[in-house]
Amino acid sequence: MPHRELTYYAVSVVGADRPGIVAGITEALYRLGCNIADSSCAMLAGEFAMILIISHPKPFTKAHLLEELKPVSERLLMTLSVRHLPQGEQERKENTGEICQITVYGADQPGIVYRVTSALAAQQINIMDLQTKLAGSGEAPVYIMLLEATLPDGVSPETVEQLLNGLKEELQVEIGVRIVTPVEL
Amino acid sequence: MAVQSILKYPHPLLKKMAHRVDTLDPSILNLVQDLLDTMQAGPGSVGVAAPQIGVGLRVCVVDVSKSKHGKENNHGLLCMVNPEIISRSGSAIMREGCMSVPDYTGDVERSTEITVRFLDSRTGEQQEFTASGFEAVAIQHEMDHLDGVLFLDRIMSISTGLFRRKSYR
Repeated sequence: MPHRELTYYAVSVVGADRPGIVAGITEALYRLGCNIADSSCAMLAGEFAMILIISHPKPFTKAHLLEELKPVSERLLMTLSVRHLPQGEQERKENTGEICQITVYGADQPGIVYRVTSALAAQQINIMDLQTKLAGSGEAPVYIMLLEATLPDGVSPETVEQLLNGLKEELQVEIGVRIVTPVEL
Repeated sequence: MAVQSILKYPHPLLKKMAHRVDTLDPSILNLVQDLLDTMQAGPGSVGVAAPQIGVGLRVCVVDVSKSKHGKENNHGLLCMVNPEIISRSGSAIMREGCMSVPDYTGDVERSTEITVRFLDSRTGEQQEFTASGFEAVAIQHEMDHLDGVLFLDRIMSISTGLFRRKSYR
């Protein structure tokens, strides 16, 4: 990487799915000389969503970025949002405790995500990845959620399990907690 | 012998097929010693393969006996020349990191039980045994290096694997 100081932006693009969205957006970024530092794209129902953290050597303005991205997103009928990241916000900050994968599934009902995540938030458990899907038949919809979280020091996976056991009863859903241990080889 | 520096991807040797060893001559014994020194110097390292220190030969060392995951179930220190997996079964996913691919970990599926055969450089004898659990994962990871395969070739999802590494011992 060059030694010039970098400026960072969070870019999101959402709209009806069609071929060429990723190519269109990343071509504009490439022409601008932007680097994709981190990104995740997913199809959610019929919508395609791109979230990117991009960097560019300073000086580089939001106006300049929008000038290139706006025409592309308009052509693709996508909603564009761009935010400048203050110094330091591009760095990933994590708890240092265990990594947990939590799966929740059960008959669909309002509040599954809310109830589970607020129980976690109350313990300062940080969610790093979360996905949900609605499966099953129209008459018997099943809600499925998979999330990955880091525990703060001093919070054990057993604590998390106990914490969620109450919800399991109350919401009549299945909840599983698995520890993920990265291994250095 | 000496601790060698670990080659990092995109060094081309890491993607090359390593050559079989014909005879256990002193240069091979020296290579094994370098691998051991390098493994012992790496924090929490449980294995090193010859291509990782710049030698394109089918030699690797593995020792999970001091790691949290392997201390209950292992065959101690293994100095493997021309290792081969004769049979394998089961599968499990583990989040792996590699000294040749710093600052990244990814979920990889591996066999849970493998039977390996190799020339033991310390005895000069052919050895064969069945390894399971973490030891089996470590052997498969190191043996992949001999085929120019990195765990990056086997990751199943990028989104769950972007974590800084800490000490996993």
